[in-house]
Amino acid sequence: MSADQRIPVTVLTGFLGAGKTTLLNRILTGQHGRKIAVIENEFGEVGVDNQLVIQADEEIFAMNNGCLCCTVRGDLLRILGRLLKRKDRLDGVLIETTGLANPGPVAQTFFSDPEIRDAYRLDSIVTVVDARHVAQHFDDGRETKEQIAFADVILLNKTDLMGAADLDRLETRLHRMNTAARIHRTRNCDLPLDRVLDVGGFNLSRATDLDPRFLEPEYPFEWAGVYELAAGTYQLCIGHHSAGQQNGHESGEDAHHHHGDEDELDVALLPVKSLDAIDLAAARDLAVQVFSDWEKRVKPGEAVTPGATLQRLQLADGHGDFPVTIPATGRYMLFTAHDVPTHLHAADQSLVRYVHDQTYRHEHSHDEEVSSVGITLPGELDAKRLNDWIGGLLAKKGQDIFRCKGVLAVRSSDKRLVFQGVHMTFDAKFDQPWGGAPRTNIFVFIGRNLNREELINGFKACMVS
Amino acid sequence: MNLTKTWVAQLDDYVIDLAWSPAGRVLASASAAGPVTLFDAQGARLHTLPGHADGTNALAWTPGVIADSGDRKPDSPILTSGGQDGRVRFWDANTGRQTVETEMAPAAWVEHLAWRPAAIDPVSGIRNPLLAAAAGRRLSFLSTDGSIAHTFTDAPKTLSALAWHPRGGAIAVAYFGGVCLWDADDFHARREYAYGSAIPALVWSPDGRWLVAGAQDNAVHLWLPEEDQEFHMSGYETKVRELSFSHDSRWLATGGARDACVWDCSGTGPEGREPLALPHADRVCAVAFQHSHGLLATAANDNEVELWSPTRQQPLVATVRLTAPASKLAWSPDDTLLAVGSQKGGVLVLKVEG
Repeated sequence: MSADQRIPVTVLTGFLGAGKTTLLNRILTGQHGRKIAVIENEFGEVGVDNQLVIQADEEIFAMNNGCLCCTVRGDLLRILGRLLKRKDRLDGVLIETTGLANPGPVAQTFFSDPEIRDAYRLDSIVTVVDARHVAQHFDDGRETKEQIAFADVILLNKTDLMGAADLDRLETRLHRMNTAARIHRTRNCDLPLDRVLDVGGFNLSRATDLDPRFLEPEYPFEWAGVYELAAGTYQLCIGHHSAGQQNGHESGEDAHHHHGDEDELDVALLPVKSLDAIDLAAARDLAVQVFSDWEKRVKPGEAVTPGATLQRLQLADGHGDFPVTIPATGRYMLFTAHDVPTHLHAADQSLVRYVHDQTYRHEHSHDEEVSSVGITLPGELDAKRLNDWIGGLLAKKGQDIFRCKGVLAVRSSDKRLVFQGVHMTFDAKFDQPWGGAPRTNIFVFIGRNLNREELINGFKACMVS
Repeated sequence: MNLTKTWVAQLDDYVIDLAWSPAGRVLASASAAGPVTLFDAQGARLHTLPGHADGTNALAWTPGVIADSGDRKPDSPILTSGGQDGRVRFWDANTGRQTVETEMAPAAWVEHLAWRPAAIDPVSGIRNPLLAAAAGRRLSFLSTDGSIAHTFTDAPKTLSALAWHPRGGAIAVAYFGGVCLWDADDFHARREYAYGSAIPALVWSPDGRWLVAGAQDNAVHLWLPEEDQEFHMSGYETKVRELSFSHDSRWLATGGARDACVWDCSGTGPEGREPLALPHADRVCAVAFQHSHGLLATAANDNEVELWSPTRQQPLVATVRLTAPASKLAWSPDDTLLAVGSQKGGVLVLKVEG
């Protein structure tokens, strides 16, 4: 129901072999009767006849004195310009990029040239990943991470070749990198086409139901377990154990991308009154304070003690055993900075099981240089302050902010302001009226080395008090 | 001054190029979809050529004076076309048949064609016609038989415009990042002019003094190659794709905004001078001065076409309104007919009298 008459453009990215061409052919087969132009990279093979297929040759134009944030694809400018020289309007354009293509210049092509911006609408960037190989590609170069960061839609493809637990972990990881993208698990890129076409990457209907998970607060710890302990001495074992001991807390994370210093683990052991949510929250909040305090170094064999002290356990190859002295019977909550295997043994060597545990979103994704910051704030923004802030922010940090998007309530307008940006270029349009809906703001940044606090504070400063 | 509609025709798609034959007897019109239709000056359809399978991009007639081919009658000129199929095709306008085709750089569109100006070489007394054809990053010269006479070193980026020096001794080619001036006789690069953006349009003043680029960064850049000077005119609303010089080299008309700007290029040039702004209600999409008279035709995205004299800010005659924005304006060689192509496939020929 968008009044936007511009030609929708879908960009397909992903490593060679991930399944881009399969998806492309699925789309074309499902769209017969509509006039779709396909702009392909040199390796593409469109298997559907009667389509307008044009080869692209990846020509980069640095528009502003060689600044990387202002690069566009000259070949796309030329091809898209030529495609406008038609009597009849095209129904859509599909762009298949090479596996190594940086999506930045492709996306910026739709923002920097007024003629192209007026005629075309970047509907979505769809990134197809091979579930088995994507983690490995993360280590090979920056392209795959950038393709994840730029995506509006991620197809986690070839899922039939992977276990459910591994898929969950991978999906969580992708989600941390790009909270605004919709992730679909597929085999052979088989999914309803409305998940990838006309999704309106930034359209209101979709932008307002951005995945709420990015709104969860983040913590300086990743895991906590509540133990019911009698007074006495216990043994805390950190690290993987030999086979047969499956009742402790095993890591939820893939050891492969365990982050931080493997030879240290920050922990805090705090008393907690009950398992009621309010008591758990109080312990959690205390732990946040403790984790921001000075740490006490604890060598293997030295005791871990309950109380408001951050204790930095010294490990060897990720392992370490520490005595724990419990002065009084009660419930204790053990917070660990990382989600690593943690086992507590009683004096008789028997395993003590936690009665409750919880994982937390860690505030700094140390393992990923690419991450997302999502902001949700009810209320209204001052248009000028917002404009000044965003303009300044993107001018300074645009190189690291791959994408940003938002649906915003501006004091001076009764319509939703739909905002999207790629590096330093951005575009804002008033969309549907708020009507009776509560005026609220959703803003997401996806990029490298994002400073969450700075972004949130900057955004808050744009609110009408 | 009278402006009368003489005839109209409809092509199957966007009119991507229009070209009058050297004697003005035939108007060739290419649709973006591919077919090329030949009309006589009264609007009768002579032939419809198939053009290029995936679309035609450019048309060019062989020049009127052909010193080396006495057997070709002046009323049977050869039309050349370039297209998305990466080929240059030669057509006999009398029979409507293709005579020869030449494959250019592989997988590159032939986007620009320009025959060397027909002036006779003062030393040798003859000059063989040469067609400059741009395909991708490659410039080639073709002879009238379709053979490739020379292929130049590839440009760093795709060629975006060609402009022969009016005396035919050199050709300027534009690409993202600059302009190269190639000598047309010994093929060496005479000069390279750096420019930090894309260049969608390039023209010489008819006296060969000015070389002017219309640029992507909302500017017009002028070089005076003989005097080693250059000027930059910025502040346009959009990129500048529309450029035309008056026959006396004094006036430069530019698009890139709602007003067609006309700069005075006499003497020291336009710098510091106020241009004449010829108003339109929407963005100007085409400008064309007459070949040897003083009128300027301009068209804008509001579907209107206007005629001006470069010294007056009022249009000379009633506005012509089309059903779609003009895609191309082409004056007949004797300047009496103005052919207008539209984005919806219309071809309209107007007669100018008085």
